[in-house]
Amino acid sequence: MSAWATWTASAALLIAAGSASDRSWAAVRPCIPELGARQLELSAGQGVLLGVLGGLRTLVADVSWLRSYVLWERKEEAGCEALMRLACTLDPHARYFWEQTGFAVGLDMANWEIRRRGGYARVSKEVQDHVFAAYARKGIAVLEEGARTSRNRAPFLIVAGQLAEMKVRDQRMAATYYRAAAESEDAPWYAARFAARTAWEAGDRAQAYAWYRDHWSSVLRVRHEDRAPDDLAELRMMEDALGVPAMRRIPRQPWER
Amino acid sequence: MDALRRTHWIARITFLEAVRQRLFSFLLLLGAALAVSSVAFRFLNFGHGELKFVADFGFGILFLFGSLLAVVMTAQLLYAELDNRTALTLLAKPVSRSEFLLGKFLGVWAVLGVFIVLLCSILAGVLLTRAAEIAPVAEAAGRVPPSVNAAGLAIFALLQWMRLGIIAALTLFLAAGARTFLFSVVAGMLAVLGGQLQWLAQDLLTKPDVGFFQRSLAWFATRAVPNLQQFNIGDALVLESAGAPAGAAASALLAGSLHLLAFLFLACALFRRREI
Repeated sequence: MSAWATWTASAALLIAAGSASDRSWAAVRPCIPELGARQLELSAGQGVLLGVLGGLRTLVADVSWLRSYVLWERKEEAGCEALMRLACTLDPHARYFWEQTGFAVGLDMANWEIRRRGGYARVSKEVQDHVFAAYARKGIAVLEEGARTSRNRAPFLIVAGQLAEMKVRDQRMAATYYRAAAESEDAPWYAARFAARTAWEAGDRAQAYAWYRDHWSSVLRVRHEDRAPDDLAELRMMEDALGVPAMRRIPRQPWER
Repeated sequence: MDALRRTHWIARITFLEAVRQRLFSFLLLLGAALAVSSVAFRFLNFGHGELKFVADFGFGILFLFGSLLAVVMTAQLLYAELDNRTALTLLAKPVSRSEFLLGKFLGVWAVLGVFIVLLCSILAGVLLTRAAEIAPVAEAAGRVPPSVNAAGLAIFALLQWMRLGIIAALTLFLAAGARTFLFSVVAGMLAVLGGQLQWLAQDLLTKPDVGFFQRSLAWFATRAVPNLQQFNIGDALVLESAGAPAGAAASALLAGSLHLLAFLFLACALFRRREI
């Protein structure tokens, strides 16, 4: 084969290989944890390259998590959050990392900020509430990201709901998260009750009852062997409080006490 | 037929030379020791299942040590022939430069195959043993017991063999044109780095709002540099019940073999012009 033919064949092979690579990457991409150029830029100096390049993602994620503990003890907010987020980025399917990062950002870091401003005795209640709400929103953003990338959705939505309820003090926002958790496949048994209760307390009583009733009839009663009697009891209290006429109430169940 | 026979002989001698190298034995023993002891590193494990941690550790060792071996061994075996002038003696006989280079590549690739088979066998042993130990505990706790797909691990080993083959061919291409061993090794390692990050360019190509210049650059990068990240689907193949998407491994193998062939052609073209 002449030199010219060899170079031409090489160029043709490279072009063909590139096209084949485009197609195979499209097929392979869903198997590889999502990591974009942005995350690489943010954490290139912290060992992420080793994780991305060498396939030792879980080990680098664990080491990053350990390093974040050291900064957590020193209450170094920026470094701690960066390392925790790095662990989440490297192993996006790990529930533990996302959940703990959400808690740390949403709760611990707000405490650090209040202490930095002089402590609970010096900082007024309004400012404390403002700081807690701001950090809780950041924590919720982390948890939402976790719910998108991790395989378990419900636990993140429950924690996001708790932060919204206790720290942001927004019952409607909390109800939205609890409802999303209740409607996800891995919903815990208490999610629907939380959703109905917070929506009820937020003042959306009729909507809360309508959703809870529909959810109990279509999901809870079918999914649980005991047909969720505690939820039905809760619904009965709501019917009493709302004064739902007897004809429009949930029909009495044969097993109901 | 004669050309094949000559290439086979060179490959055989290269294989024997490579197997006797201390670097091969050292990396193989170290890799095996780390793969076996990965279970002992569980104390470092936080957020993942134990088997995922062990598997990821093993895959990482396979890639890191395998890449190092592919780059250093390929460059070293070629430069040893050139520096000792044995290449001159060999090429004075009716052996073409392409046959010589192809023989070198096949010898190195065979050694890399042995490296992968041994390490994957050890990893399979560790994973299957741990899975059998964990299963009763998981069942008692009411959880789904973890499973290890041995066939998936075999496919993963094949993918890794292709990945290391591409790295060896790429290093051979660089060494065929380079003047020093050190340059070949450094350039080879940088090429591995580029190959592992090539997906950034490939992702860029799929975005609609990219300018002409960026798109052209990304297109060129995806043709000139192989995507080494596409062989990194061990988790899906070995640990996940759903497995990898149908045809993913086959298409990665096809793209990889085309890149491998292209780099071998380029290496032959460069080596033909080289002054020995």
